[in-house]
Amino acid sequence: MSVISNLSDEEIAEVVRTKDKEAYAEIIKRYQTKLMRYASYIMGDDHMGADVVQEGFIKAYVNLNGFNSKKKFSSWIYRIVHNEAMNMLNKHVKQLPINRVVEFDGGVNLENEFIKNEMINHAHLCLEQMPIIYKEPLSLFYLEEKSYEEISDILRIPIGTVGTRINRAKGIMKKLCQKHQK
Amino acid sequence: MSKTPKIIPVDFKKAIMAKVKSNEISIKPRWYFIVGSLLTVAGLVGFSIGAIFLTNLTLFLLRQHGPMGQWRLQIMFNSFPLWVPILATVGIILGIWMLKKYDFSYKKNPWFVIVGFIVSIILAAFILDYLGLNDRWSHKGPLRRFYQQVERQNSTFPKGPGRMQNGVGKGFLRNLDSAH
Repeated sequence: MSVISNLSDEEIAEVVRTKDKEAYAEIIKRYQTKLMRYASYIMGDDHMGADVVQEGFIKAYVNLNGFNSKKKFSSWIYRIVHNEAMNMLNKHVKQLPINRVVEFDGGVNLENEFIKNEMINHAHLCLEQMPIIYKEPLSLFYLEEKSYEEISDILRIPIGTVGTRINRAKGIMKKLCQKHQK
Repeated sequence: MSKTPKIIPVDFKKAIMAKVKSNEISIKPRWYFIVGSLLTVAGLVGFSIGAIFLTNLTLFLLRQHGPMGQWRLQIMFNSFPLWVPILATVGIILGIWMLKKYDFSYKKNPWFVIVGFIVSIILAAFILDYLGLNDRWSHKGPLRRFYQQVERQNSTFPKGPGRMQNGVGKGFLRNLDSAH
């Protein structure tokens, strides 16, 4: 396993489909936190996010021979999770997003922690109201730190559209947050 | 924006690897994806050829009405085999749908892909018509019977100037003759 951990994602994918299917555990280890953060953010609910990620990992494994190892594995797996999230959102279209459960850490500075959590909550409240077409590129760019090209590959939209949506999302975010402050 | 929003930590490794080890889930074979790609290519080529052929046939049928034929729209729509342009349009729509399945298509402006495809189909149809392939196909070859059938359907009203006799077209005369 220590040798596996030195390999790139694309190399591990090749190992899984040709030699050792158990090497897929390394892929899960590398991506579970990132994908969970992305899916939870899109779905607005951790439990639904977990379902999306689990289904995404299964689909990625089943379709591993469809992955072109000349391309980025991360974009491919994010694309699968994006599709899963869209399918689930369509199913639950009438269901309102459940607010995120705030977990308080037993910190020393309670006042700072409270302000920080308030700010996070405020930001999430604004974000939850944002349309999905702006929410997604914004989360991929700022939370997942993906490049415009990677976002274009994940969402299957032109690079120019990615830039436009991120810029519009920033404007919408500003308006939403100002509205909440009033 | 916080880069680390708190999420419930979930360990997927155990659950998924159990399914992998027990062969509850397995990797689809490579040929499955090769067949999928081949069908996509075949679909795109098939729909493109179909759309070109039917657009070309539409142009041929329109040309048959002779000069200024387009002015007699009312009469034309009564007998024109509308299924030809309708099927051509369906072919174009399906072709665009297939084209959107390719990786390169989303990197381009979607309107560029759609307009580009439609223009290429119409241009190819014009070239076929200009080269006189329709006239050749309607007289000989395996498509002769098909062309003649479509032409017959299309010729139940007068064609071009000088074809009218006492305000009634030859087609109508033919029908009147058979009625008597």
